[in-house]
Amino acid sequence: MVTKNSHLSLKTITLCAMEPRKTGKIDHLETKNPGILQKLMAMGILPGMPITLLRKSPSYLFEVDQTRYAVDREIANHIYVSC
Amino acid sequence: MKLPVTCPEKECCCGKTRCTLGKGLPKIILIGNPNVGKSSLFNALSGSYTLVSNYPGTSVEITHGKSRIGEREYEIIDTPGMYSLLPVSEEERVSQLLLFEEKASVYLHVVDARNLRRMLSFTLQLLEAELPLILVLNMMDEAEERGIEINIPELSHYLGIPVVGTVSSEGKGIEELKTAISEFTLENNAQKFRQKIDYGSEIEPYIEAVEGLLDPSEEAEIPTGISRRAISLLMLQEDRTAFEYLHRVEKTPGYWDENHEKNSEEIRKLVKAASKISEVHLSYLFTLKRQKHVNGIVEQVMEIPERSKNKSSGKNGKIRAEDDTGKKGSKTQNSNLDFSEKIDSILIHPVLGIPALFLILYFGLYLFVGVFAAGTVVDYLENTIFGGYINPFVTAKFMSLVPYPALQDLFVGEYGIFTQAVTYAIALILPIVGAFFLVFSIIEDTGYLPRLGLLLDSVFKKIGLSGRAVIPMVLGFGCSTMATMVTRTLETKRERLIANILLALAIPCSAQLGIILSILSGNPESLLIWFIVILLEFVLIGFLASRVLPGEAPTFILEMPPLRKPKISNILVKTYSRMHWYFLEVLPLFVLASVLIWIGKLTGLFALALKIIEYPTVWIGLPPDAADVFLFGFFRRDFGAAGLYGMHDSGLLTGVQLVVAAITLTLFMPCIAQFMMTIKERGFKTALAISGFIFPFAFFTGFIVNTILKALGVSL
Repeated sequence: MVTKNSHLSLKTITLCAMEPRKTGKIDHLETKNPGILQKLMAMGILPGMPITLLRKSPSYLFEVDQTRYAVDREIANHIYVSC
Repeated sequence: MKLPVTCPEKECCCGKTRCTLGKGLPKIILIGNPNVGKSSLFNALSGSYTLVSNYPGTSVEITHGKSRIGEREYEIIDTPGMYSLLPVSEEERVSQLLLFEEKASVYLHVVDARNLRRMLSFTLQLLEAELPLILVLNMMDEAEERGIEINIPELSHYLGIPVVGTVSSEGKGIEELKTAISEFTLENNAQKFRQKIDYGSEIEPYIEAVEGLLDPSEEAEIPTGISRRAISLLMLQEDRTAFEYLHRVEKTPGYWDENHEKNSEEIRKLVKAASKISEVHLSYLFTLKRQKHVNGIVEQVMEIPERSKNKSSGKNGKIRAEDDTGKKGSKTQNSNLDFSEKIDSILIHPVLGIPALFLILYFGLYLFVGVFAAGTVVDYLENTIFGGYINPFVTAKFMSLVPYPALQDLFVGEYGIFTQAVTYAIALILPIVGAFFLVFSIIEDTGYLPRLGLLLDSVFKKIGLSGRAVIPMVLGFGCSTMATMVTRTLETKRERLIANILLALAIPCSAQLGIILSILSGNPESLLIWFIVILLEFVLIGFLASRVLPGEAPTFILEMPPLRKPKISNILVKTYSRMHWYFLEVLPLFVLASVLIWIGKLTGLFALALKIIEYPTVWIGLPPDAADVFLFGFFRRDFGAAGLYGMHDSGLLTGVQLVVAAITLTLFMPCIAQFMMTIKERGFKTALAISGFIFPFAFFTGFIVNTILKALGVSL
């Protein structure tokens, strides 16, 4: 991905690579499994939404809009966040 | 209570004077995401009770009730939660099918007000389906607590449908909702959706083409209340139910004029072509377009205060303090939220969470259910009330009134209907089950179960399950039959099967658990051995099953509801309703067992069955007398445990024998009802295979434990 202002550049990383207590924006979802994709989207985990990672262990816990979700590493790897 | 039926226009039951439930009454269907309070609203509207808890997936079945609203009587239908019209899991499909098959006069889309942005997308889908809809913003209190403001009239204007705010658990807004429903049906015309969502010039032609092909000929009867545009959208997303619908349409004579084969062929071609033109999966595209539309609406009608929007700024004390002063009275509310936040972080802490779990188990399960209910209460009821007063009295009366020994034996004999079945059910099982359900209801309503799922997910992965399976597993400690039904909420077939096997094998239900706790609690070492063996079985069989069974490893996604203070009224009603259900299920089976044993004794079959079971009984080191415990165990394993309680009372078993018997019995199939439920959920073959594995395996484990304990020279 090319970004114009390097000093303001947003990097896109998976939720797994994010630091706890940091907020970013969901950039996109990437998975070959349509079921998981559908589920994530139906539950409101959508590109463009702000996302806050709350903790990484024992599992991933994050907040999108007004709701908290718990997911495993596998799912967290499908969520790409720009921050 | 029977209400006279009044349909002003006589349209609902074609002028008949009496309506029967489910026939002819105008229907109200509740739809919505999981854990938004549909069941709670159902209870408030219908005056009946269906279980309400604080976790997604409490309702896995459709519930029917009746309600009188204004001048009319309605049938009210509660559905399992679904996230969108396109289902992912089984219980969602249950709801989707209902929407396809039923035609209701009003649909209530229930959403959690706080999460309007996330849930409005489904509202749009339902409007696309052209269902006569009222939007219910539930849990308005929680939204207000967080300072969220929603302009309801404005929202209603944008959507073109009535919108009502409620707090269903407290009955707030129910009257307004009822008024909206009666006004809505009086208007009697389904309001059409005002804004049509444009999915883009690339895909729209496909949507319209499929829609056009679905058009029936003029006289044809349309078999669903869902609009053809909605069906077309579902087909393009390759939804199973939509294609089943197409299949049905093909078989409906006269739906299409002549060349119907051509039509369905054409549709399939279009679906294929559409999936190729889009780079991303079509459901992704549709969802994003809809969400864009939703965001536009939400921006106009909803205000979320900064703090609530972005908790991560919590580190920055300044921003927080400013926000706090911004709203009057929000300080106490915020400190409430902070407090529950603190507790929350302990419950799900990878280290602190474990002792927290053990504390809950120790106080809730061991002390309250095991020691108090199964020990003190049962002791008093069984020995003092029943043993000391009721049974001798009834037996004496019966003996003097009915002089036939055979009948005396049936009712008041050793295994008699009264002296055994009724006594066991009331004095032994009921207090234990009641105590368990009380504790369980409290745990459920706080929202602890999803947190336990988060805590245990990585452990459960080792046995082929996801953290989501924690919910049916814990419920299994209450009643395996209920829990087997709840395995529906699990995503893959493989996961459902593993959960089912483990429930049948290694999760003792509360009645049995209570009795075993009380028998073994006198000797902590016995209890520890029992616990370790059962835990090992659970892990071992889960591990093996996950290795042997084909299919993908499970994934874990679970919504985390906020921690909530349980409502005493809901807990009491829920406990009562579960006890009621349980008692009605248990008593007939116990009575049946008494009758069968009586027949068996008369014909000599009982002795024969006992002789056969004596072999494995002796084989695992128990006295031959213990055979009838296992015979009872075939009916229900708690019934067997009750028999064990009797033997323990009379001091017939040594410590080691008691542990071995308890372990063997715990591993038995739970009961006939659970077996039937397994047939229903998994099919007959699978159910038979599971029980064919479990019974021999239970005795085998008993044998191993006995051999090891003997070899080590353990005496308990």
